[in-house]
Amino acid sequence: MLEVNDIVTAYGKIEALKGVSLSVPEGQITVLLGPNGAGKTTTLMSVAGLLKPKRGSVTFEGQDITGRQPGTIVQRGIALVPENRLVFPDMNVHDNLKTGAYVRNDNEIESDIESIYERFPRLKERYHQHAGTLSGGEQQMLAVARALMARPKLMLMDEPSLGLAPMIVEEIFRIIHDLNQEGTSIFLVEQNANMALKIAHQFYLLEQGLVTFSGTPGDMDENEVIQRAYLGTTA
Amino acid sequence: MDYVQAIVDGLLFGAVYALIGIGFTLIFGVMNKINMAYAAASFAGAYVSLGIAQVVGLSGDFGLPPFVMFLVSAVAGGVFAYIVYLICFRFTPDHYELASLMATIGTLLMVDEMVVQATNGEPQNYPEVLQGIFDNPMLEFSEEFAIRGDLLTLFIVAVIATLGLLWVLFRTKLGLATRAVAQQRMAAQLCGIRVDRTNATTFVIAGVLGGLAGAMIGAVVGTLLQSLVVIPLTIKGLIVTVIGGLGSIPGAIVGGLMVGAFENVFLAIRGVTERDMYVMLLLFVFLAFRPQGLFGRVAVRD
Ligand SMILES: Nc1ncnc2c1ncn2[C@@H]1O[C@H](COP(=O)(O)OP(=O)(O)OP(=O)(O)O)[C@@H](O)[C@H]1O
Ligand SMILES: [Mg+2]
Repeated sequence: MLEVNDIVTAYGKIEALKGVSLSVPEGQITVLLGPNGAGKTTTLMSVAGLLKPKRGSVTFEGQDITGRQPGTIVQRGIALVPENRLVFPDMNVHDNLKTGAYVRNDNEIESDIESIYERFPRLKERYHQHAGTLSGGEQQMLAVARALMARPKLMLMDEPSLGLAPMIVEEIFRIIHDLNQEGTSIFLVEQNANMALKIAHQFYLLEQGLVTFSGTPGDMDENEVIQRAYLGTTA
Repeated sequence: MDYVQAIVDGLLFGAVYALIGIGFTLIFGVMNKINMAYAAASFAGAYVSLGIAQVVGLSGDFGLPPFVMFLVSAVAGGVFAYIVYLICFRFTPDHYELASLMATIGTLLMVDEMVVQATNGEPQNYPEVLQGIFDNPMLEFSEEFAIRGDLLTLFIVAVIATLGLLWVLFRTKLGLATRAVAQQRMAAQLCGIRVDRTNATTFVIAGVLGGLAGAMIGAVVGTLLQSLVVIPLTIKGLIVTVIGGLGSIPGAIVGGLMVGAFENVFLAIRGVTERDMYVMLLLFVFLAFRPQGLFGRVAVRD
């Protein structure tokens, strides 16, 4: 479904990605693990169109989307739930969701918001509340819900469990699992390797801007995965 | 000396400061950058409308209704603001805030000079198109206190313009995009909003408000004099924004009315030459004791 071919993405002169290739198959949960600064966020941003790779290509459903505008990419069916959630703090929940549907022109937006409220009753209770006043867990759900409003075929998620209490983390992972069961493909970046490997169909390990391992959760000893996901390979 | 009269006149006239403050704050809210050339849209609009009035000849016992002057000034303000956006923001490096700041200051001084060249630095009569809509004075309560019809008209027009802006911001898709960019730029992009387009439209909207304010200032004061509008309006717009809280529209409204009332009281007490000194003093008081302004919060952005 999504193919990333040998992309190099740089901030100024510093190359954060030094030739990353990976593929995300349709209908699956693909997990990207790696220590801080490995380039996980940079990878997602390069797919979503916020960063332009200076080399390599990104294709989605067979079409080249390298360096396209973020709006074009959302319209094609890729939505990103960003690191740190990035809700619109002074907008109420309802407007946050409407903004998620910005690229849509159909007339089913309000009915989609209703089904979002069924899936996330906590958001319904707070529909008129400013997003900045929500708890961390609620903001994360709002960030996921906002991305869903674009009706994505593929969801990119950047560390959705970051800074959340264990119970909320479980809930978030259950939501990811459910969304996948309903047919949305997932590309998940996580530091919580433990939890992520439980729902992953396959995973990649990214270290210092390079993919150093790919396989299915059984392929590598879990302790080694966790070790490398947190600390990287100690040379 | 009647303070009530001074305060009421000042509050009514303050509505134009509120409009200019709203424009300032809108641009700051969306771009997180200061546009020093913003008030230039105001007097550019005022001078263009005046120029057209002189050519078409609607000054004196003008044949065209006053709203034409306002319309011309608003449109000119919008066009001018868009040009400022292109020159000072679109093509200056995004991460280097000093570049756009210096460019806007340069633009302000350049426009100032152009006005001087065009008018020889002489005051220009502006048709007092706001008079005659209501009786003047409109309401006479006593010998000492009356509400001026032209100021009341100005106030009503400013209120309508502000309500229009709020309608755009809170009831349209364009407004949704504007608020999204102002609050969380990266997330807005992820939702498919084009930040550059939102920036440009924000400038145009702010310019339209500024142009409207410029025409109304001309109409109420009756003359336009470069040395009394160019720098003073810029400074006042900034002061209103700081007092209200950078990025806050309610703040700009309250700040505008406050500055209007405050300066008018000091105009009455100390005269026109000293007036702006006290307004400056007000600014320092705020910067020292409430730097975030009335409605601003202690800055935390991405
Ligand atoms: N805006 C930026 N400017 C300069 N360098 C950056 C920028 N953002 C990230 N980097 C650098 O790029 C590299 C990869 O960063 P990235 O955010 O992609 O890592 P990550 O894997 O998401 O890390 P984390 O787990 O901490 O979120 C890091 O070395 C980082 O310092
Ligand atoms: Mg990251």
